[in-house]
Amino acid sequence: MSILEVSRIAKNFGGVAALSDGNLVCREGRITGLLGANGSGKSTISKIIAGVYRADSGEIRYRNAIARYRNPNEAKKDGIAMVYQNLSLVADLKVWQNIVLGDEAKKGPILDNRSARRLAAGLVERLLPGLDVERMTYDLTPGEMQIVEIAKALAADPKLLILDEPTSALEKAEVLSLFAFMRSLTEKGVAIIFTSHRLWEVIEICDDLTIFRNGRNVGSMDFDHDEKDTEKIVGYITGEAQKGNYRKACAEICGETLLSVKGLDYAPFLRDISFDLRKGEILGIGGLAGQGQRELMLALAGNYPGVSCEAAIDGRKLELTKPAKLIRENILLVPGDRELEGLFVKHSVFDNLVFPRMGLRGQSLFTPLDRYAKECEQIIDVLAIKASGLDVPVRTLSGGNQQKVVVGKWFPYKINVLLLADPAKGVDIGAKRDLYEYIVGRVRGEGMSVVLYASDIEELVEYCDRILIMYEGRVVAALEGDDINEDKIITTSMRVGQPARERAI
Amino acid sequence: MNSGRRDAGAPDLRRLFARPEFSSLLILVLMVALTAILQSNFFETKSINRNINAFAPLVLMTMGQAVVILAGGIDLSVGPALSLLTCVLTFVMKRSDPSSGMAALAIGLAVALLLGLINGIGIGYLRIPPVIATFATSFIWLGVALFLRPTPGGESVDWFSAFYNFGDVPGASPAVKAIGTVLPPALLLVLVGCAFWFAISKTRTGRHIYAVGGNSDSAYNSGIDTAKVQTLACMINSVFIFLAALFFVGQTGSGDARMGDPFTLRAIAAAVVGGIALSGGRGNVYFALIGALILSLVNKIIFFANIPYAYQTLVGGAIVIVAIASSRANTMYNKRIKTRESIPG
Repeated sequence: MSILEVSRIAKNFGGVAALSDGNLVCREGRITGLLGANGSGKSTISKIIAGVYRADSGEIRYRNAIARYRNPNEAKKDGIAMVYQNLSLVADLKVWQNIVLGDEAKKGPILDNRSARRLAAGLVERLLPGLDVERMTYDLTPGEMQIVEIAKALAADPKLLILDEPTSALEKAEVLSLFAFMRSLTEKGVAIIFTSHRLWEVIEICDDLTIFRNGRNVGSMDFDHDEKDTEKIVGYITGEAQKGNYRKACAEICGETLLSVKGLDYAPFLRDISFDLRKGEILGIGGLAGQGQRELMLALAGNYPGVSCEAAIDGRKLELTKPAKLIRENILLVPGDRELEGLFVKHSVFDNLVFPRMGLRGQSLFTPLDRYAKECEQIIDVLAIKASGLDVPVRTLSGGNQQKVVVGKWFPYKINVLLLADPAKGVDIGAKRDLYEYIVGRVRGEGMSVVLYASDIEELVEYCDRILIMYEGRVVAALEGDDINEDKIITTSMRVGQPARERAI
Repeated sequence: MNSGRRDAGAPDLRRLFARPEFSSLLILVLMVALTAILQSNFFETKSINRNINAFAPLVLMTMGQAVVILAGGIDLSVGPALSLLTCVLTFVMKRSDPSSGMAALAIGLAVALLLGLINGIGIGYLRIPPVIATFATSFIWLGVALFLRPTPGGESVDWFSAFYNFGDVPGASPAVKAIGTVLPPALLLVLVGCAFWFAISKTRTGRHIYAVGGNSDSAYNSGIDTAKVQTLACMINSVFIFLAALFFVGQTGSGDARMGDPFTLRAIAAAVVGGIALSGGRGNVYFALIGALILSLVNKIIFFANIPYAYQTLVGGAIVIVAIASSRANTMYNKRIKTRESIPG
């Protein structure tokens, strides 16, 4: 019988609909899989059930009563526990201390450490035998931390357990032992919601499956009756399969190699990445969220001094150790988090546009403000930045216009390589088109090269000449020509067709 | 069971060296040795007692400060709080009325806890950055202390001197006087402080202080009332300041609105020397005690080494920097081991 019925849930974040019509049913003793591309709403619905967010509309019935939780603690008291993607552990505590944190056993006012240790050790023993609960948490590998996080959720003895991508940091053997444990929980009547990007995992462990796309559930399967049909599932995830999208082969429009990267390594985020970027090429970086794309962009911009890599530009050796060195080579970054990394939000449009020039060599002692002001007006004009003047703080601009400022600050430069880390995130469609038109114009016009990471697959499909798919810090595929379509990108990202048993190393 | 450990066996010694407390212990041993060489009668009872009396206040202040830092805060008002408490104690006491001493103890403790409560509300509930909140309150404490006692002075009941030396209490029997020569009350005050922290560390509050200081978001997500924990940490600090105030009033029999000022930064420095991470959540209150001893011994060494007076402060500062740097270097070494281990393959 069903323990949870979620119906017609809608949730907006600042005008953007994360969920428009979310429905979900979970039954006692069964594992319900949630599948969907990035931003399809599966994480949002999980968090609404667990009390992290409140739904704008819709209804949640949990154990035959309407549930309206204001915070995760209320949900937890009601038997709903969620394991978050970003962990909630205190690094300076021991493993067992973390597992019982916030709900420590007591004898009178004194902590009952013996029973706490026993509880923690019992849970860990079943999840990951051999992990010593006396170890400090900061000593653990990401996979071990994930297990501890799961053990922590289980310490509260939940009736409904929500696992939001619990396996992304786990190795194969750990995944299998987690699955065995999930089975033992369901035998005791616990209902589990399981989210993963790895198709084989979902197919292997789930009893039911609900697929989300664009904020609504578009399909569900019950593996008691339905076949485990990979094609059908992928069809639900991607929607209409788009095929035959003609593209020019890259060699036709691109010139010789401009930037070559060999064996880029930045453990544990990036492993042995090699690629050549040609003149006038737009190289896409795709894959599931959080597979190292962001780190790759930052590494190329010189943000990680510890990176090891053989790189060359125009045949000259290039060191990726400092942003200043790369800026001098006209390799410029438009970072993903514009407020933190790309702008001085409290300062004026003028300050933001002019600022990078200050770092150039050969600046005159006194800043020629008049000349710069003219330049800024030109930038504003070309990029169609909507601002009431040069002196308004960037913070007051809309997201799209802020993003244009980030791009615009590099405008006076001759750009060799433009690194775009999700440049259209949170930018409306019109501004997005303006931005890309400007960039594509410069690519075609002056032979600038672009490395584009976009979380939105459509952007990759529309603008890229070649797409590298990343998975767990490695480049696992390069798509060119006819292969550049949504269907192919998603299936490659999820490693569909890869021998399930071997992967996840 | 050590199967989870990557380096079972030989590197155990390396692990020992890598413990943050290890360097402070090593420095303490060096300091004691150096002092013993410079001061021939260092190990005589009389001089040990004198040293205990000299060191105890900083030890108490440091332990209190360490608790606040562990909870992710810092308290810049401890010096003025100490001064204020000596003023309050001597304000309440009348020499002619021995029972007023008991009233002073009760009122003094209550005021101490109130000071901690106010700091805690500022830090925990109003979310004012601890440096700013306690810097502001330090002036309020000072102001109130100056109001109570514009100039050093005041009076205390006779038996209060028992907090300094049992033998000093008028009418003490010869047996008590004898105890006084071998057992300084300052040592008892420190032991009371240690016992107090030992009890706290066995409760949820003790654990949660580490959790909140280590990662307040994680602590909050785990259902911990972080504001309450920070407030309690400030109030625990109050108890240590109160113990130090008892010692001073016992010693001088008077209150002084400025006497505590030097303790604020010395207590923080001592806590850091003792391996308390300023970022919170890491360290050990008993080792903060060792940090205080190290800092106190530095002063002694400078005094006995015949360093010209003009250079004493300078040398003292340099030694503190070396002590802190060595504990930092240790942390860094620790981190290196960790990263080396975490790189897979």
